[in-house]
Amino acid sequence: MGYGMGVLKGMGITFRHMIETYTIGFKLQPSAAGDLPAPTGVAGGMPTVTGGMQTIQYPEEKLPVPERFRYLPFLLYDEEQGHERAHFDGVRCTACGICAKVCPPQCIWIVQGKGDDGKPRPVCTEFYIDSSICMSCGFCAEYCPFDAIKMDHEFELSSYERHESWVYDLQELLHPVAYHAAIHPTDYAREVEETRAKDEAKRTRDAAKAAAAVAAGGDPVADAAAAEEAKRLKMEARERMLAAKKAKEQGGG
Amino acid sequence: MTPIDLLTPPAPPTTTRPAPPSRPVVDEPMVLNIGPHHPSTHGVLRVVVRLDGELVVSADPDVGFLHTGIEKTFEAKTYVKGMTLAPRMGYLSPIHNSLAYVLAVEKLLGVDVPERATVIRVILAELDRIASHLVFVGIHGLDLGASSAVMYTFREREAILDIMELVGGARMFPIYIRPGGLSSDLPPEFEAAVTDILDRLPAAIDGYERLLTNNVFWKDRTVGVAVISAEEALALGTGAHILRATGVAYDLRKCAPYCGYEDYEFDVPVRTEGDAYARYLLRIAEMRESVKIARQALSRLPSGPYVTADRKVAPPPKHELATSMEAVIHHFKLWTEGFRPPAGEAYAAVEAPRGEMGMYVVSDGTAKPWRVHMRSPSFVNLQALETMVLGRQVADLVTAVASLDPVMGEVDR
Repeated sequence: MGYGMGVLKGMGITFRHMIETYTIGFKLQPSAAGDLPAPTGVAGGMPTVTGGMQTIQYPEEKLPVPERFRYLPFLLYDEEQGHERAHFDGVRCTACGICAKVCPPQCIWIVQGKGDDGKPRPVCTEFYIDSSICMSCGFCAEYCPFDAIKMDHEFELSSYERHESWVYDLQELLHPVAYHAAIHPTDYAREVEETRAKDEAKRTRDAAKAAAAVAAGGDPVADAAAAEEAKRLKMEARERMLAAKKAKEQGGG
Repeated sequence: MTPIDLLTPPAPPTTTRPAPPSRPVVDEPMVLNIGPHHPSTHGVLRVVVRLDGELVVSADPDVGFLHTGIEKTFEAKTYVKGMTLAPRMGYLSPIHNSLAYVLAVEKLLGVDVPERATVIRVILAELDRIASHLVFVGIHGLDLGASSAVMYTFREREAILDIMELVGGARMFPIYIRPGGLSSDLPPEFEAAVTDILDRLPAAIDGYERLLTNNVFWKDRTVGVAVISAEEALALGTGAHILRATGVAYDLRKCAPYCGYEDYEFDVPVRTEGDAYARYLLRIAEMRESVKIARQALSRLPSGPYVTADRKVAPPPKHELATSMEAVIHHFKLWTEGFRPPAGEAYAAVEAPRGEMGMYVVSDGTAKPWRVHMRSPSFVNLQALETMVLGRQVADLVTAVASLDPVMGEVDR
């Protein structure tokens, strides 16, 4: 008897939930256009009612992910004309290598660019991320001082080949800044605000410097000449030092 | 033709067959392997059971199938990189594992954590506890054949994991708690999301109780099953629901408060039966208490910094990098080398959903820990398995494993 009642009670609860799928669930059904109703509680999370239908018809429907969602890094490039890094094709990465150093599973490989004179330039010529090693911790994006690497929202990455295609090279990693602005609106707003504040600070600093120079009664032209002279003396000192070093090396050899 | 006589018994056969060879009656128990790939072993737990008929003579948990070498890997990573390893060890209570590690590192560094960060840690820890208990209720039911409960417990758990994703960017391993505070401030949607789930939980917990608490089948399988006494539970070093189900009111949040738990009003539910049913009831009650704590924490959430201002521990905010050369130096120094706590050792313990989660960190003054050791509750609790099932039916072993609620990642490390 007791067992029979137990079964009936349990079935009753399940049955009530089934009915709710039709009564409450209809309100949560996607519209004909396939759009999900606006989430009420958690941004882009599960439906926030206790009853009714909870399933999503993936992959036809997809839940939006929160802004901080992170899945594999990508690199940014600025498309606008006359950008300060325009001569590096707008690629923000300066090959400082902090992301490779901070990466816990060490899945980032960077090669720094060199100019014609053999001197290193602040640009990467090669940039590889092994997506099969990456643990999507987001440290690279968090610690990049130049906002050049960000975490993606794309999580459907299955492929038919599991060696070469899983190692992303520079071309596969590069995304325009507009993409970043679209998926990380808050973070992008912070960047824009910081750039503005930085420019403003520089302007005030320059203005203050000029004002101070005028207040000190200095002649801007004479000041410029003096600065030129100081630079020339410094260069001469450096030449002398290098020559002395060379002579010492030859003497020692 | 003579009629067949059915009344006289037939004559014995004329040919004699040889007597069968006498077999000695062997009175030895049968050895039965449960796991490592058994649906009810919660991962890859192998239990070598010796049976006398249906009764358990001995049960030896054989661990090590999920050994990942996390403890050793810690020694090769800087303190901050270790943050990615700590939650991966106990994947059902990632916040508590991170918290224990961070508290130990902060003890080594002697760094102060802002009030806001501490309160946020408490909210997340309690949500983490609820999420872990929801898995316990659902999976415990599943193990015993009550397969409806898991559908409803995972519904609420999903909402909690969404909150983790909201704050930290990942459902299971948010890596949101950091030495000195948090990785970033809360997103604006956080408060509404937490209030929403806290409002829904009491009714939802009533729903699970309707399915299980008074269910005759559930009570048949759990009442008086897998019993352990207070003395045994203490001697074996078990914690959390196993110890508190035997009448010992031991909870680190009360006994050795951390993160300001002494300022919150909550009860530690205790029962005296010591069986699987008591452990289930305790966890239901604990979820309700956790809702209370999270509510209090949310109501007192102060404004202010989310991370310490100590530039040797936490990075400078990004907007300083553009204007301050000193900030750039701190930034690069911190992330290329990491911070160097003074040589010494620290132990920090938190009341994780499964008991005392302790982290023992030894520093030799370099940027990487010399040794990190975990006192993981699942490992210690698993010792109680044999005590619980000795002399009982083999079917009760499933109940015992389910009510111990081990996480194998935490056991093997």
